[in-house]
Amino acid sequence: MIFLFIGLPLVVAALLPLIGKISKRVLPDLLANAVFLLLLVLAVTAGRQVISEGPVLKQLNWLGEPVGITVAVDGFSLFMLMAISLLTLCVSLFSINYMEHYGAKANYYALLLMMAAGMNGLVLVTDLFDVYLFMEVAAIASYALVAYGLEHDELEASFKYLMLSVIASAAILISIAVLFGMTGSLGFTAVADGLRSLDAKFVVGFCAALFIMGFGLKAALIPFHAWLPDAHPSAPAPISAMLSGLLIKVSGVYALTRILFNVFGLTPALSQVLMYLGAVSIVVAAFLALGQKDMKRMLAYSSISQVGYVVLGIGIGTPLGIAGGLFHLFNHALAKGLLFLNSGSVQQATGTRNLEEMGGLAKRMPVTAATSLIGSLSIAGVPPLSGFWSKLIIIIALVQSNEWFLAVVAVLASVLTLWYYLLIQRKAFFGKLNERWKDVKEAPFWMTLSTVILALLSIGVGLFFSAVIKSWIQPASDVLARGIHIALGSWGI
Amino acid sequence: MIWQILLLSGLILFSILAILSKDLIKSAISLALASLFLGILFFQMNAPYAGVFEISVVAGLITVLFMLTIALTKAEGDVRESKLARLIFPLVFVAFILIDVLVMKGLLQKVPALPDTSEPGAFGDVLWKQRTFDLVGQLAIILAGVFSVLALFRKRNKDE
Repeated sequence: MIFLFIGLPLVVAALLPLIGKISKRVLPDLLANAVFLLLLVLAVTAGRQVISEGPVLKQLNWLGEPVGITVAVDGFSLFMLMAISLLTLCVSLFSINYMEHYGAKANYYALLLMMAAGMNGLVLVTDLFDVYLFMEVAAIASYALVAYGLEHDELEASFKYLMLSVIASAAILISIAVLFGMTGSLGFTAVADGLRSLDAKFVVGFCAALFIMGFGLKAALIPFHAWLPDAHPSAPAPISAMLSGLLIKVSGVYALTRILFNVFGLTPALSQVLMYLGAVSIVVAAFLALGQKDMKRMLAYSSISQVGYVVLGIGIGTPLGIAGGLFHLFNHALAKGLLFLNSGSVQQATGTRNLEEMGGLAKRMPVTAATSLIGSLSIAGVPPLSGFWSKLIIIIALVQSNEWFLAVVAVLASVLTLWYYLLIQRKAFFGKLNERWKDVKEAPFWMTLSTVILALLSIGVGLFFSAVIKSWIQPASDVLARGIHIALGSWGI
Repeated sequence: MIWQILLLSGLILFSILAILSKDLIKSAISLALASLFLGILFFQMNAPYAGVFEISVVAGLITVLFMLTIALTKAEGDVRESKLARLIFPLVFVAFILIDVLVMKGLLQKVPALPDTSEPGAFGDVLWKQRTFDLVGQLAIILAGVFSVLALFRKRNKDE
């Protein structure tokens, strides 16, 4: 069943261009959304199994003979699977209306499904080289999706993204090659085992540095962020939501933490590096976001800043810190997905992304304005929305581990975050209605529905945060907190 | 040792030529030569399978595809398919497959068995039984590439 997370989107994606010849809109819409709905149901079913029976390791049988395809679901992968399934479904619903004017819908959904398959694959594999492969699957689909509008800016942004991603891939691949050369294997377990018996601190440090650079580029942490403020705003809105909400976290944060925690084992030095990378990202990106006039560009800078919080939280290395980081990852995926989708609604209604030209849109687009407000307040950390709790947990974890300086930085940057989000709200939705927008209408049904779902989730997760943390943030953070023992022990290969 | 240095210098020289050359045909040929050098290096370093694949796929197949694409496109970007090109592609493709099948078998028999590593087993065994997931991943990457090309080179149809 777990293989369906990778196989189903792949197979449907392969069929979609053919189906697109028969039906240009209806069938691709139906099929893609049905697949994403099914994947969400599967994630919930798999989740119940993992929570009740513990981590699952499955090897594929083909005609009664086992083949070398092994996937594993533990708390951490389950958590990521749920986040991926939830957001992709909302994004796909949003695309029903939004992608109408781009044309070639079947092709669009095929790429979206490939991206989902790549991300699902990445969180399920137990092997370094497979991590690289599935990361590339998701990345290649995303290059095309960023340039989907085929305008000059979009092509340029996609090219820049491609070039920087290639550097990231090269760094990651070199590191994998070195590890393979040293340990003679690629599986997480075998590499972790091999590294324990070797005393090769220098080489491990070198590999960790390359991984931090490579996955840091994918996650757009601050010294490596140059591609994101171009790529994320240029993409069609649902793709911006996918990229900012999921891709940077799956192929950046997930892959990095999985390898650093479960294969290398977190050392105090690595922990410091992660925390300071996170803190620098938080502060610098927040200031950069303040100066933006383009709504989506501001959101893109905010993504860098918020991923900083995630890395800061996880980097602390204590169970509480990791739980806070992961919880923030999930909350940010919901809220940033929501905000990018809303920016798409606004752009489609008004034809502009420039905040200076907007104003008073709340009167014409009440649902979009209300959901935007919820998303903004959640990311900015206003109680009782979900983002507040995750930031609070990160800050408490920082204080507990005596990182007072970083705790103060996190609190102050949170104020900055609130500032630029209120700026978006004020300039776009509140104030006097600009005469140009007097005929603007609320976004179509599916677009509104998907944003309402995300907004309700942001509120719901905030209200029932303790249950959410207990049921599936805690199992995920346990996996990381147990370090290399998880790879050596519970998967048992 | 001198051989290896010569081969490496050739590899680097032709790689640079491939990037710097303004003429796409010269670029493609330089790239083929570079990967030929790389293939020979693989052979010398006891990685015969890597060498065979490097020479047959990268130096052979991909260069053919490059040449055909360059022949089909013009500098202005409008593509006109000549009858010759339509004939040439299947011909070259069939010839390539034939040569591959005939020569590769003999070549593969000549290469020595892989030295013992921590993951024992013949090449086919390793590829099909232990690294099956890589094949799935590569299939997915190729699919993603095809869809990307379809998406980026689609005709923009405003009324669609």
